[in-house]
Amino acid sequence: MIKKTLQRFYLIFIIILLYAPIITLMALSFNSSKSRAKWGGFTAKWYVRLFQDDQIMTALYTTLEVALLSALIATVLGTAGAIGIHAFRRKYRTLMMGVTNIPMLNADIVTGISLMLLFIAFRFSLGFSTILVAHITFNIPYVILSVMPRLKKTNINTYEAALDLGASPLYAFFKVVFPDILPGVSSGFLLAFTMSLDDFVITHFTKGPGVDTLSTKIYSEVRKGIRPEIYALSTIMFLSVLLLLILINLAPDEKEDRKKILSAATARRHKVSRFILRKVVPAMMIAVLTIGGIFYSTKMEASNGDNQVIVYNWGEYIDPEVLELFEEETGINVIYEEYETNEIMYPKIQSGAIAYDVVCPSDYMIERMIENDLLAEINFDNIPNLKNIGDIYMQQSKQFDPENKYSVPYLWGTVGILYNKTMVDEPIDSWSVLWDEKYKDSILMQDSVRDAFGVTLKYLGYSLNSTDLDELTAAQKLLIQQKPLVQAYVVDQVRDKMIGNEAAIGVIYSGEAIYTQLENPDLEYVIPKEGSNIWIDSLVIPKNAKHKENAEAFIDFVCRPEIAKMNFDFITYSIPNEAGRTLIEEPELRNSRIAFPDSSELDRCETFKFLGDENDAVYNKLWREVKSR
Amino acid sequence: MKNKDRKIKRLLAGPYIIWSAGFIIIPLLMIFYYGLTDKDRHFTFHNIARITTPENLKALGLALLLSIISTAICLILAYPLCMVLSNLGVNQSSFIVLIFILPMWMNSLLRTLAWQNLLERNGIINIILGFLHLPPLEIINTPYAIVLGMVYDFLPFMVLPIYNVLSKIDSDIIAAARDLGANSVQTFLRIILPLSVPGIISGVTMVFVPALTTFVISDLLGGSKILLIGNVIEQEFKQGSNWHSGSGMSLVLMIFIIFSMALIAKYDKDGEGTAF
Repeated sequence: MIKKTLQRFYLIFIIILLYAPIITLMALSFNSSKSRAKWGGFTAKWYVRLFQDDQIMTALYTTLEVALLSALIATVLGTAGAIGIHAFRRKYRTLMMGVTNIPMLNADIVTGISLMLLFIAFRFSLGFSTILVAHITFNIPYVILSVMPRLKKTNINTYEAALDLGASPLYAFFKVVFPDILPGVSSGFLLAFTMSLDDFVITHFTKGPGVDTLSTKIYSEVRKGIRPEIYALSTIMFLSVLLLLILINLAPDEKEDRKKILSAATARRHKVSRFILRKVVPAMMIAVLTIGGIFYSTKMEASNGDNQVIVYNWGEYIDPEVLELFEEETGINVIYEEYETNEIMYPKIQSGAIAYDVVCPSDYMIERMIENDLLAEINFDNIPNLKNIGDIYMQQSKQFDPENKYSVPYLWGTVGILYNKTMVDEPIDSWSVLWDEKYKDSILMQDSVRDAFGVTLKYLGYSLNSTDLDELTAAQKLLIQQKPLVQAYVVDQVRDKMIGNEAAIGVIYSGEAIYTQLENPDLEYVIPKEGSNIWIDSLVIPKNAKHKENAEAFIDFVCRPEIAKMNFDFITYSIPNEAGRTLIEEPELRNSRIAFPDSSELDRCETFKFLGDENDAVYNKLWREVKSR
Repeated sequence: MKNKDRKIKRLLAGPYIIWSAGFIIIPLLMIFYYGLTDKDRHFTFHNIARITTPENLKALGLALLLSIISTAICLILAYPLCMVLSNLGVNQSSFIVLIFILPMWMNSLLRTLAWQNLLERNGIINIILGFLHLPPLEIINTPYAIVLGMVYDFLPFMVLPIYNVLSKIDSDIIAAARDLGANSVQTFLRIILPLSVPGIISGVTMVFVPALTTFVISDLLGGSKILLIGNVIEQEFKQGSNWHSGSGMSLVLMIFIIFSMALIAKYDKDGEGTAF
């Protein structure tokens, strides 16, 4: 009895461990605040918005399509492969099983990049089909490894007996062997499907423009915070699978029925409920999915054709309505793709794997792309709205694009300190607070090489583009000194952590600061007196763009004052569009010192410059030494 | 007749062999190529030798330590669980197995982010603890949180293979052992444990390898303060855009992977312990 209770407790403990995060996610899907760190009250609005969001819904259907197709193909190939390998001589069998284990045991990033290299080398254009090939590749091992043990347990004699009795090999296989290995095949399929659903890294490196799965969508959103719609979707998916499982298990077991002697009425009732629960319900679910899939794919295909523009932008860096307005007005179809860092974007452009038309890199990356001859000169005759861009921003741009030939400023901002007024005592105006022992474990530092060193170099009074080894080692020393005080090195989570009062001080981009203030009024942003980084993300056209005129039409469109204002309202990042700024309704935002600091503050700020591969390597090495302390 | 049949069967492996040559072997060779050359395409061991710098060695050592600890915890948690599960009877078994696969249907990044919500200073667990007047749990951004994340993420990979072997053990064998006078400890040590070794080995590898190479868990739950070898490789590829040294370091990791494959081959000759 005690043993049983103990067992129960143990089972419940493990299940709580497994499901605690899932319940948390479900709770977040009803949170009316957009930030995961704050409970803003109960709402169901994300569920409504979810079904209105075409991007998420198409990503969902691409995910399901890839998962289903890759799992099916992998099951067929893998089952056939397992039967073949089973018939091999021992030596070859071990060899093939070794090969089979490679994708399962290799790090995802290695598999992903090696497949991308392969696709580029053989000039496959990246897209839906390359994702599919990659998923099949990492799915097959799961199928083989589930089928193999079943095959070993099958008795070869029954199969031979069937042959002796005159069955053809094919008939004998399907009647004798296949039923035996079926459980292995189906669990292989299920596992392959699951693995495909969850994969991010491999998909990211093998996907093409405009094709998104849920995982790649989620990762590109980490920068601006996961949208609650995603939580809502996950909850729906999870609950429907759970429901399906419970229903199937509720059905009276057929084998048990055979053992017992049941009255005709009970038997019939069991039969009917079995039919409903095991056949009708799953069939209806599949029907709903298929209809939804057809609905969303017709929505997509209606706008196909070659009159398009392929845009590659930061995650959540545009008001989706802008894209719709552009499509409506020009008839040009926008294929929109997102990335999370400059460094992820760069190899995709450089390899030429995909011909993007408009990209939005940051300053130093634009310089690098110009140096490597990856950008096309923009024909400014096609961009009359350039006049709306403030002159000061065109001047700033000259630091990385000396003749203003390649880029049009899109959004900009500064790097500064965000602090919680209730947690600090003194007025904050210097980077020195990041080294103040008082705030041990309450400091959030930027987790990117250039930002971390930039802040420290500025604090020391050097240029944040320093390549002087002495200055850099001095900065490194300070960063090592700082490490025990740092609560966490973060990029995007600084926002949620500051909103949730997890830390007192964080290094943050100005655009995020405005959003965090809206969620938590105790927060204040300052550009330290030593100066800081001013960054500009500008629109550029890669040299291999196929729709250059459409690209210019797109750039001109987003330079319109009312469009720039829409983007500001949506993302709260500073716009270089002077005419757009005057349209902002709320005076406190229009004149915000955070979004639009005055020129005396900006004079202290520098933009990042591309320092060359060698210097980049030095920075990376020094930073890695800091991080490994 | 029999021989001909075998030949036909072998032909079935054809498509898979072609597939694996094209999409497993060739990409692997490309990693070797990048790992053993420099920017100017000259042969070099430099990329592999980079693992010996103190910070990389430390990252490797720490990754090994944390992944060994979490593998051990997974094993300790999973084994009794599987014993309980395998006694539940066949009817419930498929359901239970699905209970363990089901969490994987939620995106793993989302699940790891949810752990942040649970573990943070003002997180859900600490709110509950505070409500019960218990001291707060402060493990976020420490190696403990990383171990927790690893155990959570990879536990199903330990449970499924062990459950699979345990449920296949013939109950008659155990009854026989009892009849011959073995007590329950002896039965466990002499009968059940040895019979479950293939499952344990395959579970251990399936947890150890992904834990060794992870970078997401250490980033999100370790506050990026703790650098594991997976983070180093990821940074080489992503931040540094240096595919040569990234590949070189992946080759070093592959040594551990080959080692685990050899372990599987040695103890799990018949593939009994395969997960599913």
